[in-house]
Amino acid sequence: MFQVALKMLFGDRGKYFGIITGIALASLLMIQQPGILISIFSRTYSFITDVALPDIWVMDPMVKFVDDSQPMLDTELYRVRGVQGVEWAVPLYKGSQRVRLSDGQLVSSNLLGLDDATLIGGPAVMIKGRLADLRLPDAVIVDEAGATGRLAKPTTVPGGKPTPLQVGDILEINDKRALVVGIARAGATFQSQPIIYTTYTRATSYALAERKLLSYILVKTKADLPLSEVARRITHDTGMAARSADEFKTMTFKYILNNTSILTNFGFVVIVGFIVGAAVTGQIFYNFTLDNLRYFAVFKAMGATDKMLRRMILLQALLVGFVGFGLGAGATALFAAVTRGGSGLSMTLDWQLLVGSGIAVAIIVLFAALISVRKVLRLEPAVVFK
Amino acid sequence: MSGDTGTVPTGLAVHCSGITKYYGVGEAQVQALRGIDLDVRTGELLMLVGPSGCGKTTLISVIAGILDQDEGSCLLFGHDIKQFSKGELVSYRGSNIGFVFQSFNLIPTLTAAENVAIPLLINGMKMAPALLEARKRLSEVSLEDREDSLPTQLSGGQQQRVAIARALVHNPKLVVCDEPTSALDGETGHKVMEILKKLAVGSERALIIVTHDSRIYEFADRIAHMEDGRIVSVDAAK
Repeated sequence: MFQVALKMLFGDRGKYFGIITGIALASLLMIQQPGILISIFSRTYSFITDVALPDIWVMDPMVKFVDDSQPMLDTELYRVRGVQGVEWAVPLYKGSQRVRLSDGQLVSSNLLGLDDATLIGGPAVMIKGRLADLRLPDAVIVDEAGATGRLAKPTTVPGGKPTPLQVGDILEINDKRALVVGIARAGATFQSQPIIYTTYTRATSYALAERKLLSYILVKTKADLPLSEVARRITHDTGMAARSADEFKTMTFKYILNNTSILTNFGFVVIVGFIVGAAVTGQIFYNFTLDNLRYFAVFKAMGATDKMLRRMILLQALLVGFVGFGLGAGATALFAAVTRGGSGLSMTLDWQLLVGSGIAVAIIVLFAALISVRKVLRLEPAVVFK
Repeated sequence: MSGDTGTVPTGLAVHCSGITKYYGVGEAQVQALRGIDLDVRTGELLMLVGPSGCGKTTLISVIAGILDQDEGSCLLFGHDIKQFSKGELVSYRGSNIGFVFQSFNLIPTLTAAENVAIPLLINGMKMAPALLEARKRLSEVSLEDREDSLPTQLSGGQQQRVAIARALVHNPKLVVCDEPTSALDGETGHKVMEILKKLAVGSERALIIVTHDSRIYEFADRIAHMEDGRIVSVDAAK
């Protein structure tokens, strides 16, 4: 009778497509919105992820998240280097600076100053140029998204498209010359600002005159000492906060979570997706069952057991759930593929998300099946003669 | 089966005694059957006739085991179906009773052969042998060339012939028909009755037809006249 159940389902094409469209849209919302949310949250700490080498980030105790750097005195670097268990410690400047384009437009950008000697904290993937070229006079490296986006050279033709920055182009940072020597790939940031890499010394010269310019100290611990112990010693000896990369990511993530309404907004859309999906799918599937109620009564009169009818309806529900979820997940995967790597809207598609939304879709179709089964099982077979 | 009685004379397909059925409760309660006594013999075609609302359909529903009576007993081939558990009744119905409906009740998304195969599928047969058997039955009702047609591609008479093939495909002992010719013109109705009489009536089988259609009375062995929930007379057909 399973084949009969499937033929009944496929035969009513209007309702079949209505149900799978409802489930596909619900699946899309339930996968895509959390996927975008995860992507946004991962952007909050993408800078920490990109700077992969150090074990410990040393910072002012008042720092709440990665973009909230509270400058320290340069002398703190030497104090940290003197702590037992520290293999090496390098300075890092991170600040927002304004870049003037050729048409006079000012663009706020993330300026990163890397240790002059080691260039630790630099981009992992260079698209054009070399990281070592940062040692050239006035040299800067710009991230790909910034080079093709907000820092692209304005066109002189009205309505024309801006030209992406190239190696050899000149920028102006706080009235100082900056020569583009490379284009790099970097993780998109929460604020979507262009990222400009240069040396620590040059970054501090670009920055406006301040007494304190050291944003973070990046520390590598010695292999024979536990990371937590070295972090404790740094805090004890210098009074600075010392956090592992994971701790710093978590702290940044929690700060954004607690101080923005992102989770509420995206969560609301996901819940709406679930409710609308359940309502639409449940209603159409129930209508499909109602339309076939007479035939279910015929089956009952002819000797079909409750178990057989329950299985037929369950099969129909699971099939529409499977097809609808497949379409929704497929469309979401396509969206993820199209938006991958850009600085704009993008999403993270992982297996946990697929499993979670798959369970939600299963709940929707089982709910739809439940109300339909209830109707069919209560049906008196005698209605076949009415 | 738990409903064996062993008290029914040989050759008796249906033995109804004092069947009473009420619909509704309280002041809205209606008595649809008022102590019906009726016997149907094997090899017999019995017609139940009477005005609308006299209880014909209620009576065949009770006889076919798809509606519970409130009082009285109904024995089908010696089994008191009231004594069956729900599962036993469903199983007994699936194996022993065939149905023909006024509005055919063919599944519109299934082909003629698939529709005919349904009772066999319900009884646990696989699709391939069930379709083979269904095609044989369709050829018996002269529809061997329409086995892959959908019900919407068939005329009313052809659809009713498919319904007859479906009612007989699992060799039931009792076939109940509700107004099998009322949706058909006179000539088609006559042909359908000829097929029914030829195929459905046999020495081990009985056929009960509920009808308003006086044009087909000639096919009956006996005619039971009902009025207001009672059988007022049972006549041998002329």
